[in-house]
Amino acid sequence: MAKYIFKRTLQSLLSVFIVVFVVFLLLRLMPTDGYFTRDDYQNMSEAERQMYLVEIGAVGNPIKLFGEFMGKLFRGDLGESYVLQPHRAIADILAEKIPYSLAFGTVSMVLSLILGLLMGMAMAKGKGKWPDALGTGYVVIVRAVPSLIYLFLLQIAITGLFHIPMMFSERNPVTWILPTVSLSLSSIAWYAIWLRRFMVDEENRDYVKFARSKGMTDWKLMKRHVLRNALVPLAQYFPLQMLLTISGSLVIESLYSIPGMGGLLVEAIQEMDNSLVQVLVILYSALGVLGVFLGDILMVLLDPRIRLTDKKEG
Amino acid sequence: MKKSIFRAVCLALVLLLTVAALTGCGASSVSTTEYLGTYSTDVTSLIPFYLPDTTGKKVISNVIDGLIETDRFGSFVPSLAESWEHNADYSVWTFHLRKDAKWYDSKGKEVAPVTAQDFVDGMRFVADHKKTKSDMSIIKSVIVGLEDYYDTLVDFDDPNLAASKKPEGPRETIEATFDDTVGVKALDDYTVEYTLTAPVPYFESFLVTEIFLPNHKEFSDACGTKFGTAPDQLLYCGAYILQSWQRNKEFVLVKNDNYYDADKVSVKKIVLQKITDGAATVEMFKRGELTGTSLTGDQVEYYKQDAEWGKYVTLRDKSSVNYWFFMNFESPNTEFNTFAQNENFRLALYHALDRVTIAQLYNPYDTEEMLTNVICPEDVCYDENGVDYTDYAPLKEIKERGAGTYDPALAKEYFDKALAEVTDGNGNINGAQAGEVKMGRTFSFQTDGKLPLQLVYIHGSSSDEVSMAQIIKMNLEEVFGSENVEIVLSQFTGDKYNDVIAPGNFDLGYDNYSFKYADPLSQLGRLVTDGAVNDGHYSLPEFDDLVAQGSEKLVVSERYALFAQAEALLINGGYIIPWESGGGTYGMTREVPFTAPRGGFGLSRFKYKGMQLSEEPISAEQYDQLEQEFYAELNRKNAG
Repeated sequence: MAKYIFKRTLQSLLSVFIVVFVVFLLLRLMPTDGYFTRDDYQNMSEAERQMYLVEIGAVGNPIKLFGEFMGKLFRGDLGESYVLQPHRAIADILAEKIPYSLAFGTVSMVLSLILGLLMGMAMAKGKGKWPDALGTGYVVIVRAVPSLIYLFLLQIAITGLFHIPMMFSERNPVTWILPTVSLSLSSIAWYAIWLRRFMVDEENRDYVKFARSKGMTDWKLMKRHVLRNALVPLAQYFPLQMLLTISGSLVIESLYSIPGMGGLLVEAIQEMDNSLVQVLVILYSALGVLGVFLGDILMVLLDPRIRLTDKKEG
Repeated sequence: MKKSIFRAVCLALVLLLTVAALTGCGASSVSTTEYLGTYSTDVTSLIPFYLPDTTGKKVISNVIDGLIETDRFGSFVPSLAESWEHNADYSVWTFHLRKDAKWYDSKGKEVAPVTAQDFVDGMRFVADHKKTKSDMSIIKSVIVGLEDYYDTLVDFDDPNLAASKKPEGPRETIEATFDDTVGVKALDDYTVEYTLTAPVPYFESFLVTEIFLPNHKEFSDACGTKFGTAPDQLLYCGAYILQSWQRNKEFVLVKNDNYYDADKVSVKKIVLQKITDGAATVEMFKRGELTGTSLTGDQVEYYKQDAEWGKYVTLRDKSSVNYWFFMNFESPNTEFNTFAQNENFRLALYHALDRVTIAQLYNPYDTEEMLTNVICPEDVCYDENGVDYTDYAPLKEIKERGAGTYDPALAKEYFDKALAEVTDGNGNINGAQAGEVKMGRTFSFQTDGKLPLQLVYIHGSSSDEVSMAQIIKMNLEEVFGSENVEIVLSQFTGDKYNDVIAPGNFDLGYDNYSFKYADPLSQLGRLVTDGAVNDGHYSLPEFDDLVAQGSEKLVVSERYALFAQAEALLINGGYIIPWESGGGTYGMTREVPFTAPRGGFGLSRFKYKGMQLSEEPISAEQYDQLEQEFYAELNRKNAG
């Protein structure tokens, strides 16, 4: 196991490095016109524009620039944003935004885990009966209707019904509820439908039939055997989802005016804020790789039958 | 088991909803001292001297005052300057500051008095390209010594400039020359004087722009590169203080009770929230969570039928931004290039474009009211007798053409004349070659050098833009006949200026142009040969001459007479086809119209000083009445 973890860590570091390096180079291949607006062309001379490009690190030897960037990074300096929030430390920007996405993301993940798993269990238990039909109806609606439509309708309807402000406000806790619930709707459906599927699979296994014939109670059988086995394939994704809550939700955050991380990467790319793009790429790719890694390990812990290294012969 | 799960789920939901219901009870009443506004794109930085977007202008105009401002009629009135005068030829302007204006920090604590030196330091800040980008190009050549000082600093910092060509350093020495060489002087603590390179009778209109704001140098130096990045990185001398600024969320401005003009400020708090969704703002307005909302074309149609809200839909005043069509006189498309040089063809286009139908896309009602036939905006520039610039001959006649420029029969007549002049009678276009025309990296098409003339119209990727392009295609092909003209639609996704206009990858297009100061030169000066917004690259020496002559006249009516002739040349020669005015959007609001400062340029028009709010939304009827009263008063003022 230790050897495996060591090997995977090296691999992970290498993949993050490659992603970051490629993105860094691609950003330098972009045409430089995009850094200037029409007014800039009127107000800045060619020399001024060149100086600006040098200042923001858009021109120059990319390998050297990459070296400088990595050097700073190891000293804990994420650099400054140039376009979106000129002269603000990227660390400050992240420190300001991440807590919102993380808080909403975590609470909604817990909420969707609880509700999703409960719903999945209910559907599996009542397979073919009304709980299953009801659940399937919910899943189909949530997954098939474009989320913007039902999320917006929900926002209008619920805030209107209870006379609460439509937008999120830090000072008013009642405005925290609806975004959290909205954020959970689709993942509840996701957990429910997969858990139902894995549980139905498990329930048809011989060991379940055997246990039942031995007179084991339904509840015990569920808890001890079916649920645990059905959770294994789902568990693999928990760490990844947990970590990527940091990236926020573009739709929910813009719908409720939450100043979180959702859309920051897209905006940074559109506005060609290279330094910010690079940091976000590192952050997201590192979290992504770490999440998959942790998922694999979690699976091993949950299911002793799974091994990550080849079993030695003899 | 089954039951318990459901009970749990139901219980959780009921609990959530009860909590929500209990805490959310009681709809708040609409305040008349709190302005609740929105914005859609975030401000990048609040350096007062560089405000590329409206939100930044809204914030800074309310927290930092300039020497003068415009009142609700758009006339220049004292702000930080109590009085001012100029010499006989308008080249030296002296401003006398009021003595009770102070700088305050973000907590409202008094820091220092506002002095004449702050205005000198404001210009010093703008004149250093390392401090900030700015809208320098409009004043660089206006103030004595400014251009030289600015360029010397740029040359000094330019790493690509040969050492022999570099000005002598160190940088501090060059910076020190500012006080002696640039025409901004503090004569004493409360008198500031601007010396101009040439007579500028309309100099006042520059003073309401951000470039002329004061700067407390000691404070901005201490902030360094963090200046303008947070509320505590700014000092305030305006009606409001920026209390908080949460990026991507909201600005909160509170009234400064110690402000010298505090009794004119009735809105005590301004909250600007970032909301990107137009449907949400309408709903929030209806619930009293916002002071006003704008409406899209579809929403207007919906709400006009609404029994409760229909009466509140109002059309706001036009802005000074004008839209016009331009064509490419250096098109890589040889077929079009031949036609573009022909005046009869350009006039054919002028009379063929059905501007009303096109504008209906954006404004389904009152469309004709939004059209404009001129380049400089109406109701912005007045001469010494109160006569509007656009009422000067021959512009007045052009202005009054209204929607009548659309005349398919006349267009066809001009087109037939053009055909006779630029084709050989067998459908071959003179000077046009067969072959591939490349426009940009991705767009190319084949021409055969024969009729039909292939004309490339460029448009953006939004649904409105695409519809507009299709309307124009149908419109022109119908008027001229598809055997004569084929409109080729070319869609761009990137930046219109960088990808399309600057490299000349188009035949016909349109854009909007803001008006920067109160003189027709603001627009005409940029439309001369090689001018900054001469997007089609035409050259019309007669026009250039008239503009040059006009800009030398000091008596405003004499200037305007020459400018009006120049502008008429562009329009009557079909070089530019004016389309519609900006602004004029539909909306619903609780803001009493015509109470806030007005102006076609600069910062004053974004001020909330003087603005009155109403508890009830303003009905269209009320709006019309207030509008009539306002214009009657304005005309009386201008005449008197």
